[in-house]
Amino acid sequence: MSITIRHLGKRYGERVALRDVNLEVCDGELVCLLGPSGCGKSTLLNIVAGLLDPSGGDVLIDGESVVRTHPKYRGIGMVFQDYALYPHMSVEENVMFPLRVGEHRVARREALVRARRFMRLTGIEDLARLRPGSLSGGQQQRVAVARALVQEPRVLLLDEPLSNLDARLRLSIREEIRRIVKATRVTTVFVTHDQEEALSIGDRIAVMDRGVIQQFAAPQDLYLDPANLFVARFMGSPVLNTFCLSYDGGRRVLAGDDFSVPLGVLDVSRFRRPVGEAESVLAAGGCVLGVRPEHFHLVGGSDGLADAGADRFPVVFGTLVESVEMIGRYAVVHFTADDERCRCVVDVRRAPRAGDRVLVGLDCVSVHVFDADGGRLY
Amino acid sequence: MKRIGRLFAYGFVLLTTGVTVFPFLYMVSASLMSFQEATGVPPALLPAHARWSNFGEALRAAPFARYAVNTLIVSGLSTLGTLATTVLAAFALVRLRFRFKRLLMGVMVALLMVPYEILVFTNYRTIAQLGLLDTYAALILPSLASVFYILYLCQYLTAIPDTYYKAAIVNGCGDLEYMWRIMIPMSRSALFTMALLLFISGWNSFLWPILVTNTTDMRLVGNGLSAFVTESGTAVQLQMAASTIIVLPILILYAVFHRRIIEGVHVNGIKR
Repeated sequence: MSITIRHLGKRYGERVALRDVNLEVCDGELVCLLGPSGCGKSTLLNIVAGLLDPSGGDVLIDGESVVRTHPKYRGIGMVFQDYALYPHMSVEENVMFPLRVGEHRVARREALVRARRFMRLTGIEDLARLRPGSLSGGQQQRVAVARALVQEPRVLLLDEPLSNLDARLRLSIREEIRRIVKATRVTTVFVTHDQEEALSIGDRIAVMDRGVIQQFAAPQDLYLDPANLFVARFMGSPVLNTFCLSYDGGRRVLAGDDFSVPLGVLDVSRFRRPVGEAESVLAAGGCVLGVRPEHFHLVGGSDGLADAGADRFPVVFGTLVESVEMIGRYAVVHFTADDERCRCVVDVRRAPRAGDRVLVGLDCVSVHVFDADGGRLY
Repeated sequence: MKRIGRLFAYGFVLLTTGVTVFPFLYMVSASLMSFQEATGVPPALLPAHARWSNFGEALRAAPFARYAVNTLIVSGLSTLGTLATTVLAAFALVRLRFRFKRLLMGVMVALLMVPYEILVFTNYRTIAQLGLLDTYAALILPSLASVFYILYLCQYLTAIPDTYYKAAIVNGCGDLEYMWRIMIPMSRSALFTMALLLFISGWNSFLWPILVTNTTDMRLVGNGLSAFVTESGTAVQLQMAASTIIVLPILILYAVFHRRIIEGVHVNGIKR
């Protein structure tokens, strides 16, 4: 069942929570709504669920508008951040609950059979008689998923379902959720503020900020081909390095204090607009240069770091290593360039030490250039 | 220093306990006295010998069995009724969105400030004009809703995350089903405390029943106490004996459920 969201808006008095949101979720697809807190992702989910009314626009499930439909007739299952398991019922009763209320109530026996099926799917059969209070976070999570699926909903909505779990459990449960969702082929919308979670679980991700969908794309595209500065900054860890540069039209370079990037070394085919047009935008307002931490390369240093071919990079500058952070296979090297604190990722065996002087090469072809409003130019 | 502080604390507790418990103990003691002992000056603290016959005599002075049945019916029904109205009102105030909700809440809080004695007159007029004087309806109707308990339950319900309600709605529950299957079971302890306190206050009610009833058949246990007041004076020792008997069921209730009662009062007290 597909979900189509058209020109959806939501305002609370003066405050705009959602602005002209358009989204198309295909049948059986798992879409993540990703964004910082307050970006409107939960509002959007609640509107799809029918727990909130939109101020304008339409939500269609399988082609039919549901904005005037009561939540219970929308055919949705939902998992909440705090799971909302009913404390006075056993696990089994919790899972059966949706089948035992409302007009579509089924007989206890049949409800039990159906509940058992989903309890098997989520691996909680052994907990049937226990109360939610005596379960671990991960177990409660499974119960919540089973309860959401037991009505065989057209659409499954998950509102930050993993944020109450500890880090290790989060990893395994998110794989588990993806497995279950794919096994039941239910169309799923998953809300999260954790980019790693979204990247690993979603077929496609809608990145939201200030009530607007900034980009809706496959995970790798968000990272490699961000639509704007917000997406580029939001996706990726360590975070994107950014530099405010001015444009020197005479020399055709993006000029900074410590380094400058000639337009000539960029790949013409990767400009979002005709180069001439891009240049006039640059000349008008300067730009923000975005460099992924892996696109800085340490190409030499005072301690005799092997000269890793500084000549391969058209832009090279020297700097002082401020600190080095180990994260396993890689190390994050912190330094300052152009008055910005920068991060670069290097192989842990080639990591310099704090205080070393190093030469940094810039992989110019892979950088992103944004205009003053954060729109992508390159 | 610490020991002195603790000494003070114990002293204070003992003093307040004494002040609250003394009348009760005196009631029991006086119920075993002779008329002379009970009314003498200076008053006697203990009877010379216990006169158990006072109890029998007290029970014969008024139709206490009938009173007890009446009281059970009236307190029972008004307790159930109040629970029902309170649950519905508190649900609406906490979970539903409607216009002027805040104003309504404000008015309700303001109503708490109005003393009961003032309401008694308007209530009496209403009941009289409805032609309900001297009926069970007169005894029960005015106590079918309580602003205090509505606000008490609202407090309790706001502490239950609204995701339970959302989840129930998505699961296909209607509002009534949500109340019956989720909200009431989840607020059992608060409702239980409420029911106990409501029943106790119903049992102890005195002023209202004596106003709206004329015949002995409609009187409640509390009113039975006035049977000992005659032109020639009050049979204090019998009145005390009757009081002791009347208080007994409440004491038993308390003894059985005191933990729940304290819990309910306590939880409400420290709510964020």
